[in-house]
Amino acid sequence: MKKRHEQKLVVLAIALFLVFNVPFVLTFNLGGAFLGIPTFYFSIFSVWLLSVIISYIVLKRHYE
Amino acid sequence: MNNYTLVFIIISYLAVLFYVAFLAEKRRQSKWVNNPYVYTFSLAVYCSAWTYYGSIGIAANSGINFLPIYLGPVIAAPLWIIVLRKIIRISKQHKISSIADFISLRYGNNRFLGALVTIVCLLGTLPYISLQLKAVSETFEIMADETSYISTSVFDHSTFYVALLLAIFATFFGTQNTDASEKHRGIIASVAFESIIKLVFFLIIGVYITFYLFDGTTDIYNQMSASMENFKELITLGSVENGFDWFFMISLAFIAIFLLPRQFQVSVLENSREKHLKKAIWLFPLYLLLFNFFVIFIAWAGKLTFGSTQNAEYYTLLLPLENGNSFLATLVFLGGFSAVISMVIVSTLALSTMVSNNLIIPYGFLDKFSQNQTERNSKYIKNIRRISIFLIIIGAYFFYVSFSKELSLYSIGLISFVIISQLAPSFFIGLFWNRGASKAAIIGILVGTLITVYTLILPFIVQAYTGTDDFIQYGLNGISWLKPYELFGIDFLSPPAHAFFWSMSCNILCYLVFSLIAKGNYRERNYAEMFVDSRNFSTLQDSALVWKGEAYVADIKNVLVRFLGEQRATRALKIFFTKYNLSPNTQLADARLINFSEKLLTGSIGGASAKILIASVVKEEQISLVEVLKILEESKENIVNNKVLREKSEELSQLSSKLKTANEELITKDKQKDEFLDTVAHELKTPITGIRAATELLMDDDDDMPKEMKNQFLKNILQDSDRLARLINNILDFEKLETGRLHLDLHAKDLQKTIQKAVSSIEHIAAKKNIKIHNKTVHTIILPYDEDRILQVLTNLLSNAIKFCPKTEGNVTIDLKRGNGEVEIMIRDNGKGIPAEDHDYIFDKFYQSKHQNTIKPQGSGLGLAITKQIVEKHGGKIWAKKGRKNGATLVFTLPFA
Repeated sequence: MKKRHEQKLVVLAIALFLVFNVPFVLTFNLGGAFLGIPTFYFSIFSVWLLSVIISYIVLKRHYE
Repeated sequence: MNNYTLVFIIISYLAVLFYVAFLAEKRRQSKWVNNPYVYTFSLAVYCSAWTYYGSIGIAANSGINFLPIYLGPVIAAPLWIIVLRKIIRISKQHKISSIADFISLRYGNNRFLGALVTIVCLLGTLPYISLQLKAVSETFEIMADETSYISTSVFDHSTFYVALLLAIFATFFGTQNTDASEKHRGIIASVAFESIIKLVFFLIIGVYITFYLFDGTTDIYNQMSASMENFKELITLGSVENGFDWFFMISLAFIAIFLLPRQFQVSVLENSREKHLKKAIWLFPLYLLLFNFFVIFIAWAGKLTFGSTQNAEYYTLLLPLENGNSFLATLVFLGGFSAVISMVIVSTLALSTMVSNNLIIPYGFLDKFSQNQTERNSKYIKNIRRISIFLIIIGAYFFYVSFSKELSLYSIGLISFVIISQLAPSFFIGLFWNRGASKAAIIGILVGTLITVYTLILPFIVQAYTGTDDFIQYGLNGISWLKPYELFGIDFLSPPAHAFFWSMSCNILCYLVFSLIAKGNYRERNYAEMFVDSRNFSTLQDSALVWKGEAYVADIKNVLVRFLGEQRATRALKIFFTKYNLSPNTQLADARLINFSEKLLTGSIGGASAKILIASVVKEEQISLVEVLKILEESKENIVNNKVLREKSEELSQLSSKLKTANEELITKDKQKDEFLDTVAHELKTPITGIRAATELLMDDDDDMPKEMKNQFLKNILQDSDRLARLINNILDFEKLETGRLHLDLHAKDLQKTIQKAVSSIEHIAAKKNIKIHNKTVHTIILPYDEDRILQVLTNLLSNAIKFCPKTEGNVTIDLKRGNGEVEIMIRDNGKGIPAEDHDYIFDKFYQSKHQNTIKPQGSGLGLAITKQIVEKHGGKIWAKKGRKNGATLVFTLPFA
C-alpha cells in the first residue's frame, strides 16, 4: 500500500477522533429520535458505519 | 432450569470447543484456520462478558457511557495499517512472545522492566478475569432453579469448577510448544468460533426483545420517554464536563485495544499474515457496531418490564425467562459463556507466558536449567507456564470472592483498563521516539501505577475491609485535597476518568523528562533504533545489533543446545552459516551470531533471560554510545548505497540493451539503404537500356528500316520513358513519405465517391484482361482524408489485385465496413493468394515474393510500401487477411477523426 493511501486511513482516524469528542460531539447532543433511535445514538452509529465503509473502500482499492 | 441440565449443557459446549480447537491444531496449515476472518473474529475477544452483560447495565442506568469503550477501537482501527503493522513486523523479527517482552526489548532487553510490565499486566488482568467469573456465577444463578438460591456455596463451587475447566483448556492448547512465539492455532480458532456465537446469540436476543416482546424501536423509545422523567439524561451527553469523562474513556479504550495482554496476543502474536489486517481494519469496527446496536433497546425493554427491581446487567437473560422462553435464555447464557471462555483463556495464555518468561525464569530459575538435558529443560518451562495458568485463574477466583461481588462489571473492567494503560507512554512513544530510556519507562510506569492504586484501587479495598467510605469522603488523614476521587480539587470527573487523567499525565511527564535527563546507554539505544526505524533495520537483519567482544561458537552452541536440543541447535547454526556465507568451522562468534542466538532463545525463555544466558558465555566489551550510533549509521548507509548501486547498474544494463537494439536497427537500416540503392539503380537501368538500344538502332539504320518497325521502336522508347518517369515519381513520393515531409490535405469527403472514382479510372484496364470489379459500397461515409492520396492507395491496391487475378474469370471485390471509430475498406481478388511466409513482408519496399523470381517482376516494388505509408499517415492500419484459401484480401482502415 502506498504511503499516500495509508495516510488516507490516518486522516480518517483523526476525523473520527474529532467528531467523537467534545466540542464536535455536542452537535449531536439533542433530544428526539429517528426511527426510535435517539438522535445522539443515531448520529454516532451513522458516523461509525460511514468509517467502516470508507476504510473498506480505501483498503479494497489500494491494498496490494 | 435444572442445575444438572445446565451443567450438562456447559460441559457439552466445552466439549465442542475442545473439538474445534483440536481440529484446528491438527490442520494447522488449512485455509479454514489461516484466513483473515478467523483473525478478525479472534480480535473480537475484546468483547468479553463486560460487553455482553455490562453494557446493558450502563445503558439502563447511566446512559451513553458504554459507547466510548467501543469508539476508542473504532478510532484506532484505521491506524492499524501503520501502527499495528509496525508492531507485528518488529515482533516477528525478534520472535517476541508477549507485550512484556516487547517493551523490555525496546529498552535494551531490560530485565526489571519486563518484570514490571508483567506485574502491571497481572494487576490489570486479574480483576478482569474475576469479572468474567462473576458473570458466569451470576448468570448461572439466574438460569438455575429457584430452589437452589438457598445455598450460595454451591454456585461458588460451580464457578470454581468452571474456572478449573478453563485452566485445563488453556493449559492443554496453550503450552504445547516451548517456544511461546509459536502460533496457537487451536485456541485462536475456538476464540473466533466463540466470537461468532456470542454475536449471533446477542443479535437474536436483541431482535426477539425489540420486535417480538415490543413493537419495534419506536415503540420502546416512546414508552420510555413517556414513563421516565429524566429520560434525556440517558440519551445525551449532558454537560461539557461530561465531555471530559467521555474523552478520557475513549482514550482509555484506544490504548486498551493495543495493550490489553489478550489483544496483544491475538492481534500481534497470533497474526499469521500481515495482509489479514486488510479485512480486520474494516470488519472489526463493523462487528463492534453490530454488537452495540441493540444494547439500548434491550436495556430500556428491561427497564420498562422490571423497573429497578432487577440487576440491569442481566436483562438479556431475565427478559426471555420472564416470558417463559428458557430456550432463548439458554442461548444467551451460552453466548455470554463464550465471551467469558475466550477472554479467560487468551488472557491466561498471554499472562502465563509473561509470568514464566519475564518474571520466574529471569529471576531465579535460570540456573536450574542444566546442561545437556534439553527434554527436562523444556518440560520445566512448560510446567512453569502450566502452573502459572492455574495460579492466575485461582488468583482471579479469590479476587472475585473477596472483592468483585460488590462491584459492577463495568467498574471492574474500567479499573483493569486504567492499570493497563500505564504501559501506553513507554509503548507508543517508545515506538516512534528513539530517545525514550528504560529508566524513564520504569519511573513512568511505577508513578502511574501508584497513582492508579491510590485513586482507584485503594478506595474500594479500604471500603471492602473497613465497611465505611470515610477514605473517599474525607481523603487520607482527612486532608481534603487528597481525596482519592477528587485529587487536588478536580471533582467533576468520574473515578476511572479521574484516575486515568492523573496517572497518565504524571506517567507521560515522568517518561519524557527522565528520558531527556538520562544519559543514553549504548545497548538500549541500539534496540531503540531497531524499533523506531524498523523498516530500515529489518534489511540489516542480524547485523542490526552492535556488539564487540570475544565469543566462541562452541560456547553459544552449548547454550542453544540446552533449550533447543542438539538437533535443532545444529540445524539453526547451519542455517545461520549458510545465510551469511561463513565456513561451518568458524570458531569466533560475531555480533550477528549473538543476535541470532538471542532471538532463538527469546521465544522459549524470554528476551531478558536470553540476554543473560548469552552474556554469561561471552566476553563483551563496553562500547560508547557514539560508536554504536556511528556503526549503525554506517551499516544503514551501506545498505542504502548498495541499493543505489544496484539500481544504477540495472539502469546501465537497460541502457546498454537499448543501445544494442538501436545499433542493430541502424545496421539493418543501412543494409536496407544499400539494397534500396541497388534496386533503384537496377530498376532505372532496365528502361534506360531499352531506350538506349532502341535509339541506337534508329540512329544506325537511317532509311533501311521499315516504317512500322521504326514506329514500334519509338513506341518502346515512349513506354520505357513513361516507366522511368513513374519510377522516379514513386521514388520521390516514397522518399517524401518516409522522411515525413509529406503534408496531408485533409478534407471531409465522401469515401464512397472516392472509391467510385478509383474504380472507374481503373475499370478499362480490368476490362482489357476480362476482369470484373464489383463495387459493393452503398452508403455514403463522410470522413476527413486527403482524396488524392487515398485515390493513390485505392488505385494501387486495385491494380495489384488485377495483377494477381487468374487469366479467366477474374473477380475483384471492394467493400467497406464501419467499425469502432473507423472505416474498414477491403479489396479482395480470387487469384492465388499470398503465401503465408510473405504476410509480414509484402509492405516492405522492393519486396518481391520468392515465387516471382521465375518471372520478370512487374511494378516498381514500391507500391505497397507507399500505400502503407499513406494509410499510416492518416492514422489507419493496413494488413493482409490471414488464413484465406482463395485469393488475397487486403484491408486498410481510416479513422473518423
